Amino acid sequence: MIAAAWICLLAPLGATLVITLAGMRISGRTAGWIATTSTSVSFVAAVVAFAKLLSENPEDRSHLSTAWTWLGTDQYHFGLSILLDPLSVFMMLVVSGVGSLIVAYSIGYMDGENEERRYFAYMAFFVFSMLMLVQAGNLLLLLVGWGLVGLSSYLLIGFHQERPSAIAAAKKAFIMNAVGDATMALALFLLILHTGSLDFGSLIAISSSSSLVINLVALGLLGGAVTKSAQVPLHTWLPDAMEGPTPVSALIHAATMVTAGVYLIARTHNVFELAPNILDLAAGLGAVTLLIAGLIALVQTDIKRVIAYSTMSQIGYMFVGVGVGAYSNGMYHLLTHAFFKALLFLAAGLLIHALAGEQDMRKMGGMRVLMPRTYWLFFVGGLALVGIPPFAGFFSKDPILAAALAHGTFGAILWVAGVVGTFLTGLYTFRMLFMVFWGEPSAYAREHHHVGPGTWSREGPLVMFVPVVVLGVLSVVGGWIQVADFWTPVSNFLEVSAPPLVTASGTQEAISSIFAVAFGLVGIGVAWAIYGARRAEVPSAPGVQSALEHKLWFDWLYDRAFYRPSVWLARALYRWFEQPVILGSLREIAAGAKESGSLVSRLQTGLLRVYALAVASGLAVLVVVFISVR
Amino acid sequence: MGNVVVWIVWIGAAFGCIASGVAVVSFRNPFYSALALIGNLGSLAVLYLLLSAEFVAAAQVLVYAGAVMVMFLFVIAYLGGEADAPFVGRHGWQTVGAIIAAAAIFVEIIVAVGESSLSHPAKIDASFGSPAEIGRLFLTDHLLAFEVTSIVLLAAAVGGVVLGHHSRRFDAGT
Amino acid sequence: MLGPDITWYLAISAILFSIGVLGVLLRRSPLIVLLSLEIMLNGGNLALIAFSRQTGEGTGQVFAIAVMAVAASEVVVGLGLIVAMSRRRLPLDVDRLRSLRG
Repeated sequence: MIAAAWICLLAPLGATLVITLAGMRISGRTAGWIATTSTSVSFVAAVVAFAKLLSENPEDRSHLSTAWTWLGTDQYHFGLSILLDPLSVFMMLVVSGVGSLIVAYSIGYMDGENEERRYFAYMAFFVFSMLMLVQAGNLLLLLVGWGLVGLSSYLLIGFHQERPSAIAAAKKAFIMNAVGDATMALALFLLILHTGSLDFGSLIAISSSSSLVINLVALGLLGGAVTKSAQVPLHTWLPDAMEGPTPVSALIHAATMVTAGVYLIARTHNVFELAPNILDLAAGLGAVTLLIAGLIALVQTDIKRVIAYSTMSQIGYMFVGVGVGAYSNGMYHLLTHAFFKALLFLAAGLLIHALAGEQDMRKMGGMRVLMPRTYWLFFVGGLALVGIPPFAGFFSKDPILAAALAHGTFGAILWVAGVVGTFLTGLYTFRMLFMVFWGEPSAYAREHHHVGPGTWSREGPLVMFVPVVVLGVLSVVGGWIQVADFWTPVSNFLEVSAPPLVTASGTQEAISSIFAVAFGLVGIGVAWAIYGARRAEVPSAPGVQSALEHKLWFDWLYDRAFYRPSVWLARALYRWFEQPVILGSLREIAAGAKESGSLVSRLQTGLLRVYALAVASGLAVLVVVFISVR
Repeated sequence: MGNVVVWIVWIGAAFGCIASGVAVVSFRNPFYSALALIGNLGSLAVLYLLLSAEFVAAAQVLVYAGAVMVMFLFVIAYLGGEADAPFVGRHGWQTVGAIIAAAAIFVEIIVAVGESSLSHPAKIDASFGSPAEIGRLFLTDHLLAFEVTSIVLLAAAVGGVVLGHHSRRFDAGT
Repeated sequence: MLGPDITWYLAISAILFSIGVLGVLLRRSPLIVLLSLEIMLNGGNLALIAFSRQTGEGTGQVFAIAVMAVAASEVVVGLGLIVAMSRRRLPLDVDRLRSLRG
């Protein structure tokens, strides 16, 4: 079982190395299959580990395996260790499973790009990093995984290096994540200072420190989680990250990396429980994010950005879930979200691939006629996202709302936000669906719709279609493994690692479900009225519209507050310090060397008599020396 | 009586040495300088005789004054040649430096010599400085010096041939 | 021994050597430089002979003969150089021959 865990972690790394070392000797498709195989091996290993874990008693389900001591000093001791427990196995299954499907899909999507090998090397590396993050046995290794997924994200967002917008988006993502990494690092510094180790036990040992320290640690960890999961206020990088190829958006910015924040809070729940204010802050930020993201999604015209804001919003739900202490509910929503969000992204990818790269929804329309199978898959994903039974989202979103309701007054506020959120979710999701798929096929669609040779059902190559279908099936049945209070194998499984703080009563569950589904249906109805049947107009509110189109001025604010001063400072330093002092001193040294060289060369007069004089003078001096020594 | 004669001869020879030395350095015409050098060599031979080095004195006159200086005179005659006027014109720092250096060397040697006790020369027998004695030394104690010197002479001979080689490229119409 | 002490001979040798040094440093014609060089060598020879007499060994005289041979060789090469210089129409002036200037 431990071996399975190590294989799961290292297989994708092996694929990265193989693809990198093979270089130009293998074709892009081969690289793709190597990557897919490795992630599939990971998935199989994760399943094996999961099965073995199930065969044990719940209390024993925590195994720490250390490969070797990574950093060892007198005071501190860090091993290269992985932790195998229900929480990590759960994430391993999600990452490797959904990852394999998406990497397989990429083989078809990226076909024809001339840099496919690099892409698959990066993807395999990302899977490895994410697995390291979830399997880390101590906080240091978790931070390493955290940083590496940030790196992979940067590399993959900026994959199309020739596009300046992609490069800028990659930089933005990386720099913003660096802020989160910094707060996390500070939290870890405090932990080491006060407990002397970064094992997960230190999260419990920190309870002996002052409450200020505990709150700071929790706040630092929250900062990292908020940034990585693109919650307000550190969310502005996620929409820009859509510059990357669609499978990247699906894997990294929907299913796995952005959910790392949720995982982090669940994993480090001990310290958060010691700082309940921070936990409330997490839930609050989640609620704010889910509303804001839902609102902004209403005015987006790029199909991928709608799905991106949707991701932000759903992760807000997850934050609400873990913020009120319902860790397993939050994780369960992570699972189902991975299914239907990846499904939506990949289906959007089928559209984009068939329309030769077009992502603007206004140019699409009536795709239901041209790509019926894609339409049905998209439809399934949309229903799952809104949380309509019996699709997956229903079973995972509503327990979160119920848990919020069980959390007291603050929780009730969160509940209201969550319910309003379902209305927005229905609205923007089906706005997207109706705009793209209903109506008459647009002129653009007719012109550009093409599918290459070897496609199946005229909509896309088989290697792209199969993963999407699998995800579609999962979006339907994936929710059926846990039904509220009646049958909770997932929660039971995860509760060993992260016991919940609240338990919702049956009434609360029922109320939450009814309201959530109702509001969701209302949202769908409104969307149908405006975009589907064209019976109503979008209400005119230019102020609101402008605010939403400017993404509530967050980007503008950050630009003025951080970016411009930094650029100004950088330029000023360059002009006033670097040029004169550093470059100048180098120039001076070089000039000085030249000067002294030319001074010395003046001795070489070429005159025989001067040389002879030098010899004679030297002789005179030497004789004096000899005489005096004697 | 003998001592007085030796002293007179010594003074004469010493005076001739120094005078001719100064003359070599001072004349404008290299021909006169070469002739002065011959005089110098002769005076030195006398001094060698006073020091009981008969063979060396003979060799000096025969080889040095006889062969080497004759070669010198041939070349000077061939080249014509008037040299520069040595003691006129501006005396730059080189001149000053040269005089100082030479004076320093002279003073130092005198100091060094004066400090040591050289008042009792060794007793010598009649064979000191004779050709037989020199020959014996050359072929036994200082054989290596003998052989090396002959190699140097060989090198010089080869060098002379090479330098004197008429190369059509470099001759400007000779 | 009869006559002056060795020290007097050494004094002459020192004078000759210094005169030679002056000649080498002050004259511009290579011929005169060579001649001055000869004077220096002879000064050295005189010192060798004087010391040979002082110690009673013939080594100094042997060395003096070797010096003479070497001086002869050096004069051969030097004069050959000067003749070659004049054949190439180079000025016979050490101050003007400065192409080794760095």
